[in-house]
Amino acid sequence: MVNINVLITLIPLLPLLGFLIIALNVHKISHKKSSYLACGTILFSFILSITVFTHLLSLPADQRVLSITLVSWIQTSGFSADIAFLIDPLSSIMLLIITGVGFLIHVYSIGYMHDDAGYSRFFSYLNLFVFFMLLLVMGANYLLMFVGWEGVGLCSYLLIGFWFKNHDYNKAANKAFIMNRIGDLGLLLGVILIFINFGSIDYQTVFTNPSEVEVTTLTWITVLLFIGAMGKSAQIPLYTWLPDAMAGPTPVSALIHAATMVTAGVYMVARNNVLYALSPFTLQLILITGLATALFAATIALVQNDIKKVLAYSTVSQLGLMFVALGLGAFSSGIFHMATHAFFKALLFLGAGSVIHALRGEQDIRKMGGLKKLLPVTYITFFVAVLAISGIPPFAGFFSKDEILAHAFAYNPFVWGVALIASLLTVFYMFRLFYLTFYGTARDEKQTMDHIHDAPKSMAIPLIVLAVLSITGGFMNTPEVLLGSSWLQKFLSPVFASASGIEIHHLSHTTEYVLMALVVALTLVVIGIVYVQYVKKGHVPAGEGRLTGIQKVLYHKYYIDEFYDIIIVKPLFWISKTGDTIVEALAIDGIVNSMGRLVTGSSNVLRKLQTGSIGFYIFIMVIGIIMILTLTTLTGVAGQ
Amino acid sequence: MNALLIVCGLGFISLVAEIINLKKGLHIAIVLGLVVAVAAVIGDWNTSATFFNNMLIFDPFSVAFTCLIIVVGIFWFCLTSPFFIGESHQTDRTALIIFTMVGGIMMVSFHNMAILFLGIEILSISLYVLAGSHKESFFSNEAAFKYFIMGSFATGFLLMGIALVYGATGSFDTSEITMHIEGHKAGLPGFFYVGILLMLVGLAFKISVVPFHFWAPDVYAGSPTMITAFMSTVVKIAAVGAFYKIFGLCFFSVQMSVLPIIQGIIILTLLVANIIAVYQNNVKRMLAYSSIAHVGYMLLGFISGSVKFEGILFFYLASYATTSLIAFGILYAIENAKGSTSIDAVKGLYNQNPFAATCMTIALLSLAGIPPFAGFFSKYLIFGSAIEADHIMLVIVAVVTSLVGVYYYFKPIIYMFSPAQASDKLYLSAVQKAFLGMLTAAALLLGLLPEWIITILS
Repeated sequence: MVNINVLITLIPLLPLLGFLIIALNVHKISHKKSSYLACGTILFSFILSITVFTHLLSLPADQRVLSITLVSWIQTSGFSADIAFLIDPLSSIMLLIITGVGFLIHVYSIGYMHDDAGYSRFFSYLNLFVFFMLLLVMGANYLLMFVGWEGVGLCSYLLIGFWFKNHDYNKAANKAFIMNRIGDLGLLLGVILIFINFGSIDYQTVFTNPSEVEVTTLTWITVLLFIGAMGKSAQIPLYTWLPDAMAGPTPVSALIHAATMVTAGVYMVARNNVLYALSPFTLQLILITGLATALFAATIALVQNDIKKVLAYSTVSQLGLMFVALGLGAFSSGIFHMATHAFFKALLFLGAGSVIHALRGEQDIRKMGGLKKLLPVTYITFFVAVLAISGIPPFAGFFSKDEILAHAFAYNPFVWGVALIASLLTVFYMFRLFYLTFYGTARDEKQTMDHIHDAPKSMAIPLIVLAVLSITGGFMNTPEVLLGSSWLQKFLSPVFASASGIEIHHLSHTTEYVLMALVVALTLVVIGIVYVQYVKKGHVPAGEGRLTGIQKVLYHKYYIDEFYDIIIVKPLFWISKTGDTIVEALAIDGIVNSMGRLVTGSSNVLRKLQTGSIGFYIFIMVIGIIMILTLTTLTGVAGQ
Repeated sequence: MNALLIVCGLGFISLVAEIINLKKGLHIAIVLGLVVAVAAVIGDWNTSATFFNNMLIFDPFSVAFTCLIIVVGIFWFCLTSPFFIGESHQTDRTALIIFTMVGGIMMVSFHNMAILFLGIEILSISLYVLAGSHKESFFSNEAAFKYFIMGSFATGFLLMGIALVYGATGSFDTSEITMHIEGHKAGLPGFFYVGILLMLVGLAFKISVVPFHFWAPDVYAGSPTMITAFMSTVVKIAAVGAFYKIFGLCFFSVQMSVLPIIQGIIILTLLVANIIAVYQNNVKRMLAYSSIAHVGYMLLGFISGSVKFEGILFFYLASYATTSLIAFGILYAIENAKGSTSIDAVKGLYNQNPFAATCMTIALLSLAGIPPFAGFFSKYLIFGSAIEADHIMLVIVAVVTSLVGVYYYFKPIIYMFSPAQASDKLYLSAVQKAFLGMLTAAALLLGLLPEWIITILS
C-alpha cells in the first residue's frame, strides 16, 4: 500500500496543481479541459480523503492522530514553524466535507457557468480556494492555519468580485475583505500571544500543557481568536459582509459562503477547544454572541425578498447556532451542525442557483412563483433542503439542531427559548421563501416563463446527491434516545477529550422526548401559518415604499450598514482625508522628497569631483595619504 | 599549487598559439584547461602546504579563493567569446587574461611580501594593457593610460610600505612578521606603523576605496565592457583576498592602529560611492560605483572581526561576482547590439529579450540586497556581524546607503520593463544563455542556502 503520508500530502497539492495549470494557461485552455481538470483534482482529493478517513477508522480510537512534517519552513532561534499536517478525527471530517461538497459544487459549476467569459478563471479560483481551505484545516500549527485562513479570504474576495465589471460587486468584495481583516487582526494577535506564552505555535505543543498559562492570558488569547472567528464566520458585529458577498456567482455562495469558508471560525474554535475549555468567560461570550446573531439574522431574513439574501442571513443565523453549541462546550454538536448545514445550505444555494439560472438572473422572489411544475428536480430537492433546515425529522437538520437545543435547555431554559425562537423564525422565512418561489401563480414576465428549463444534468446530479445527504446526514449522530449510537460524537471525542472538563448537562430521556415533540409541533404550526398566509391567501410581499414600522426596520436590516457607515466608515474617510492633506502631503512627502533631493543634489555635486584629470586624482590621493598620516600621528593610535 | 601551474601553463599555451597559428580551438582549450585547474584545486581541498621556501601557501583560505577566481574565470570566458572571436590579437588577450588570473592567485596565496608584490604587478600590468585593448577607442586608451599612471603611483606606496615593514621586522615572510610583531609589541619603531599605513594606501587603491578610488569609475567606464566585468569580479576577489591576508592575518595584532582609518574609509566609501551612483546615466559607470560601494560593505565585515568572517567574505565575494557577472554579461550583449551602455540602451529590454531582462533584474535585485537573492544574505551577514561587534553607527550608515542603492539599482529595472521605442530583438547565443541561466540560478541558490558556502571556510 502506498504510504499514507504521501496520500495526505497529495490532498491539498492536487487542487493547487489544478489551480496552477489552469491559471497559467487561463487564456489558452479550453472550457472543457479546465472544468475536467478542476473537478478531477477535487474528486481525487475526495477519494484520498476517504482513504485517509478509513485509515483513521482502522486505528484504535486513542491513536487516531497522524502528523506529518513535510519541510522545516521557518527556522530561527526561538521560533520555528514547519509545513506540517495534522490529521485527526476533526480534520478528517472537515476534509470529507470540503472535498466532497467542494466536488459537487465544482460539477454544478460546469452547468451554471457554462457560457461565462471567465469560465477558466472561475475554476482556477475555485481550485485555489479548496487548496487554501484544506491547508487551513490540515495545518498542524497556527501559522499554517493562518496562511490558509488568509488564502481563503483572498479567494473569497476574488470570487465575490468575480464579475469585476460591476462596480457594486467590487464594493461587496472590498467590504468582505476589509471586514475580514479586522477579524484577522484579532486572530493574528491571538497567535502572537500564543507564541509569547507557549513558546511555540505548534498545536500539539500548545495543547499539551495549556493550564501552565494564566487564565487571564488564556482569556485574552481565546477572545482574540474568537474575534478572528467573528470575522470569518460572520458573527455580530462583523457579519454585514456576508449578505453582500452574494454578489459572487451562486456556486461560490454555496461553497465558500455557506458550506466551507464561513465555518472556518467554527472549526478554529473547535480546534482550540483545549484553550476554550479553560476560559469560561470566552465561552460565555461565544454563547451570547452566537445567540444574538442567530436571533438577529433570523429576524432580518423574515422580510428580505432577494432569494440569495434570505439564504445569506439564514447562514449567518445558523452559524450563530453553531457558536451557541461551542459556547455551551458542546463542541461535537457544533461540528455536527456544521456538517449537516454544509449539506442542506449548499443544496439550498444550488437550488436557488438553479432557479436563478432558469429565470435568467432573476433573484427577487416576488417575481417568481409557480415554478413547482416547471422545475421539478429543483423543486423536490429544494423542498428536502427546506425540511432539513426546518428540523423536520428525520431530515439531517432535525438531529443536529435538536442536539444543540437539548444542550441549551440543559444549560439554561432561557438560552433554549431564544434558540428555539431563532429556529422557528428560520422555519418561517424558509417556508415563506419556498412557497413564494414554487407555489402560486407565475409572476415573472411571460417571455422567460416560456423558455424555462430545469437544471441540466451537471447541475441536477449535485442537487440530488446533496438532497440524499440532507435526508440521511443526520444519521451519523443519531442520539441514544432515538436508538442511535451518537457515532460522530464518539468519533470526535478524542479531539475534544481534554475539553470534557466543562460540565455538560444531561437530560433525562423523558425530557428529551417532550422537548423534541414540542419543537416539532411548534415547527408544524409555523409551517401552517406560512402556508395560510402565502399559499392560501396568495400574499406577495409589498414593495419597499409600502412597508411600515418594524417591517421597514427589518427590511433595512436594522439600518446596521448605515450605522456602520456613520460610526466607522465616514469618520475613517475623514481621518484619511485629513491625514492625506496634512500629514501625508506636508510632513511625510516633504521629508521624503527633500531626502531624495538631498541625495540627488549631493550626487550632482560629488560627481563633479570626478573631473577626469589625473593630476587632480593624484592630488586628492596625496591629500588622503597626508590626512591619514597626520591623523594617526596626532591621535597617537599607532603604537598602542 | 597544481592549479597555479596549470593556469600558468595555459598562459604559455595561448602565447605559443599565436606563433604556431592555432587560434581556432584556443578558446575552448582554455576553458577546458581551467576546468582541469578547478579539479586540481578541489584536489587540494582542506589541505595546507607551503611551496618554494615558504613563498606560497595553499591553506583552505587560499584554496577556496583560488577556486573562486578560476570558476569565475571560466564563467567569464564563456560569456565573452565574442570579445575574442573575430577580434584582433585574440591570443594576446587570452594570455593577458590568464596571466591576470595567475597574479590574482598569487595575491590570495602569498606567504611572502615579495610574492604579494609580484602578484599585484603581474595582475596590474596585464590589466593596464587589457584596459586599452580596444585600440581604436579613445576612451579605452585613456582608461589604460590613467590606470597605468595611477596604478604605478599606488604601487610605489605599497613597495615603500613593504620596505619599511621589512626594516622594522627584518623579514618578508608573513608568519615571521607576525611573530616579530607579537614578540616586540611595545618596542616597534614608529616607521613600522608608517609602513603599515603606506601598505594600507597601496592596497586601498587596489580595492578602490574612497579616497583612492578616482581611477575606478574612469577606468571601468573606459575599458571594454568585459574587461570591466573581469576587473570587478576576478580582480576584486584577488585584491580583497590580499587585503584580508595582510590586515586580517599578518598584521592582526596591530590591527587596532589602522582600524580608525579603515572606519573612516568605510564611511567615505559607502557615502560617496552610493551617492554618486545615483546621478549616473550610464549603466556601466553605475556598476563601477556599485562595485566601489560593495567593497565598503566587505570592509565593514572586516572590521567586525567575526570568527566567521572568512566564510562571510567568501560568500560575499562569490555572490557579488555571480551577480556582477550577470549584469556585465547582459550589458555587454546590449552594447554589442546597440553600441551603447547608457540607461536608454536598456530601455524595453523585457520586450526585446525577456530572458535577459529577467536575469538582469535578478542580478540587480541581488546587488541591491533584496531577499531572497544572494546579495541580501551577504549584506545581512555583514550587518549582523558588525552589530555584534558594536559598530552600530557604521551599520546605520551602511543601511541608509544601501537604501540609496535601491534607487539606482531599480532605475535600470524600470527602464527595462518600460515599453521599447524600437522593436529590435536582442540576440544571446545559446552558450551565453546557458551560462547566464546558471549564474542566475546560482544567485538564487546562494540566497536560499547561504550556509553551504559560508561553512566552506569556517
